[in-house]
Amino acid sequence: MKGPQIAIEQKMLSNGLRVVIAPDSAAPVVTVGVYYKIGFRLEPQGRSGFAHLFEHMMFQGSANAPKMEHIKLINSSGGVLNGSTMYDVTNYYEAVPSNALGRVLWLEADRMRTLKVDDENLNNQRDVVKEEVRVNVLNQPYGGFPWLDMPPVAFRNWANAHNFYGDFADLDAASLADVRAFFKTYYLPNNAVLLILGDVKPEEGFSLAEKYFADIPAGPKPPFADPAEPVQTEERCGHVEEKFGTLPAIAIGYVLPPRRSAEWCAMGLLDQALHGGRAGRIHRNLVLEKQIAVEADGGVDDIFGYNGPAQMTTRILHKPEISADATVAAFDWVIREVQEKGITADELEQLKIKWRSDYYAMLEGGRGGYMPKYGLMHLLACFSLFDGEPQLVNAILDGFLQVTPEQVQSAAKKYLRKENRAIVFRSPANLGVKEVA
Amino acid sequence: MATSPSQAPNLVPALSAERAVHWPKRVKCKLANGLEIVVVESHSIPRFHGQLFFRSGNAAVSHRAPGLAEMTATMVRTGTAKRASRQIEEDLRRLGADLSSSAGQDTSAISFGGLSEFAEPLLALVNELTREASFPEGEFERERRQKLEEVKLERTQPGFLAGERLRKVLFGEHPYARVSASEAQVAAYKIADLQTVYREAYTPENGTLLLVGDFEPKAILAIVEKIFAPWSGKKPAVPAAIAPANPRGRRVYLVHVPGAVQTQILCGCHSITRRHPHWVKLGLTNSLYGGAFNSRLVMNIREAKGYTYSPRSSVNALQQHGYFSVSAAVRNDVVAASLTEIFYEIDKLRSLPVPESELADAQNYLTGVFSMGLATQDGLLSQIGTVALNELPDDYLETYRDKVRALTPADLQATAQKYLDSANTQIVLVGDRSEIETQAALFGELEMYDVQGGRLS
Repeated sequence: MKGPQIAIEQKMLSNGLRVVIAPDSAAPVVTVGVYYKIGFRLEPQGRSGFAHLFEHMMFQGSANAPKMEHIKLINSSGGVLNGSTMYDVTNYYEAVPSNALGRVLWLEADRMRTLKVDDENLNNQRDVVKEEVRVNVLNQPYGGFPWLDMPPVAFRNWANAHNFYGDFADLDAASLADVRAFFKTYYLPNNAVLLILGDVKPEEGFSLAEKYFADIPAGPKPPFADPAEPVQTEERCGHVEEKFGTLPAIAIGYVLPPRRSAEWCAMGLLDQALHGGRAGRIHRNLVLEKQIAVEADGGVDDIFGYNGPAQMTTRILHKPEISADATVAAFDWVIREVQEKGITADELEQLKIKWRSDYYAMLEGGRGGYMPKYGLMHLLACFSLFDGEPQLVNAILDGFLQVTPEQVQSAAKKYLRKENRAIVFRSPANLGVKEVA
Repeated sequence: MATSPSQAPNLVPALSAERAVHWPKRVKCKLANGLEIVVVESHSIPRFHGQLFFRSGNAAVSHRAPGLAEMTATMVRTGTAKRASRQIEEDLRRLGADLSSSAGQDTSAISFGGLSEFAEPLLALVNELTREASFPEGEFERERRQKLEEVKLERTQPGFLAGERLRKVLFGEHPYARVSASEAQVAAYKIADLQTVYREAYTPENGTLLLVGDFEPKAILAIVEKIFAPWSGKKPAVPAAIAPANPRGRRVYLVHVPGAVQTQILCGCHSITRRHPHWVKLGLTNSLYGGAFNSRLVMNIREAKGYTYSPRSSVNALQQHGYFSVSAAVRNDVVAASLTEIFYEIDKLRSLPVPESELADAQNYLTGVFSMGLATQDGLLSQIGTVALNELPDDYLETYRDKVRALTPADLQATAQKYLDSANTQIVLVGDRSEIETQAALFGELEMYDVQGGRLS
């Protein structure tokens, strides 16, 4: 089955900035992204949460666009914008009517060249980020579960194991000097990729990119702390108290095979077999059939978007009258079944059709109902920064469609082992009893 | 605070000429059984998206029990005369499809998307769920237990608690005041009641089918006709709802959550529905006040003062009534300060005309974002869904941007005076009373509740 081929053109500017253009004139809208190869995994020790705080600072002023000017210019051009911090990349993106392309590129270049912020901006955004952490984590039932709870249990390398949203003491310790140093080290044209998607003619896009970005000086290649983990030899467990929620929760995460290996493709489909919605084996067994859990979902989050240790994580909210032991035992039964019996050719065929359909939807997909082609942008950026090959967006699907039932079973045997997993129990404070698996 | 763009007038690139916005053709038709259909071609990816909605939601049956339409919708995918639950889920996967069934206050809907190559079998499955759902006993008991846990969990979410209280305050005895069922009400749900809702609401006369995607309209219409033509059923009688009283004066409603480390603010007052002639004016006024990143509210309490991460105002248009609301989750020690700024910005819009340049910025924002819906199948589906549900004129998409551009500072000021009803805006605060009670009492007579809805004082 040959899917849609995305037209891609790319160029490297003399300062090392890669420019990737995917033209599509169907709608008069253009999406622009700038991805920097720095995420929360590699933020400095003693500065947990800094990569994300820094992302906020990128909206606080550059040489020719003082505080608020960036947001104002995008909104008043008819566009929307945002940024996000991930494990290995940080992105800044805009979707605008295509007549604003020049303006958007000028703005992105201005903040890549010079960040112009002061203590007042920093204090302001530190306050904003603390309210972000409160609204998403500290004042919500199951806030941060399992994405903040799992890493310290699963990993031993600080890069992978720390609090990515940031301890408040670390956020308080962040200074303007830290902001400047981080910018100088990582926010370089030769550590970034510029993406222009949608209503743009490639020659026009390249010429605007050249005009605004080419004179931004390159810097020394940023130092990268190795995020590799020591070999795990035991099952790891941790406990977290749930302050508001009423149900006990369990998260179980298995470390993934190296990305772009054949095993990684097999694991992607195995993940679908286990977590693919209500047809997935875990939901079917735990929620629909045995009725132990009220919710059981999860899986690999953003399989194309990481460049270091990552997990496939199941998230379970189970009935309080069922013990944590019994819940984990029921989960283990599902895992053992796929290890011992594998999956049928028919099931694999269903999984591949769904995988292909999801992949197309992702390419077009917005983010929260806006930002056309966010998914395509994200893939092109990650394949550029991690692999130097944005064209992978047209080829990566093939590897998944070639997976055999034997490969799925063997990935299950090799990766879904207890010595390759971590479990976090998040138990409501009001239940009183702490159960141990 | 915001700085004027004139600081760097020579550097900011001017906008080039705008490319014309062309909305794709909507092919509309109605089957003999009354089912309305709207089809739009979009060939961006080899998929399609659709929705079959019915003009009956929780509000229409809330006199029987709150959330009954939602529970009915939940059950619709759990079994039919021909397929058991597991079969339905595996068949969806085999078609590369996603499907959800849900109900809001005004509608019940089955939403779906999948590969175009499997459009016919997916539409056939949607048809089966719509006409032959079997409401299996075992599935019902399981779903009801899950719903019980869900309604318990809701009471731990600040956003839910704030929304629930504001709806009660604004809509009183009207069904819109009931946003969720209690545990006892869920426990009392009966299959027969759900089947009644299903029989009454899921009929072609009550339904609209929207399809957007990679297909030829003629071909897809032929498939739709073949699948849905044999269906029949009348529009249900709708019980007349009494008009809710519009609360006068400003009162403060505090929902006490012990140990809350932040306070959820939600303020609101009555406004209008989507069909109202002032809708576009109110939309622009809201956008300038707090509906966009570059809005006055966000600039003030986030970017200048750092009180909150995500302040927002919205116009919530239900079918019978609408309301305007402002929300922000703020630090406990700045609840009074935040409310002061929220009302300052409302009163400023009511008192002073908006500067022309700020108006132009807001007009550009709203018109630009509106046409972003063109670029994706989902975006198109959402736009044609708004038109169909609210029975807006056929040229709504084509004329909306011109209507926004025609508005003046005087229009906005008059709109703010009418619909940003500062003096009669109700204030809901969800937080720990020991931290915020004194601040709350500064803004009006105070009523306090626990998370279960019980009156504390």
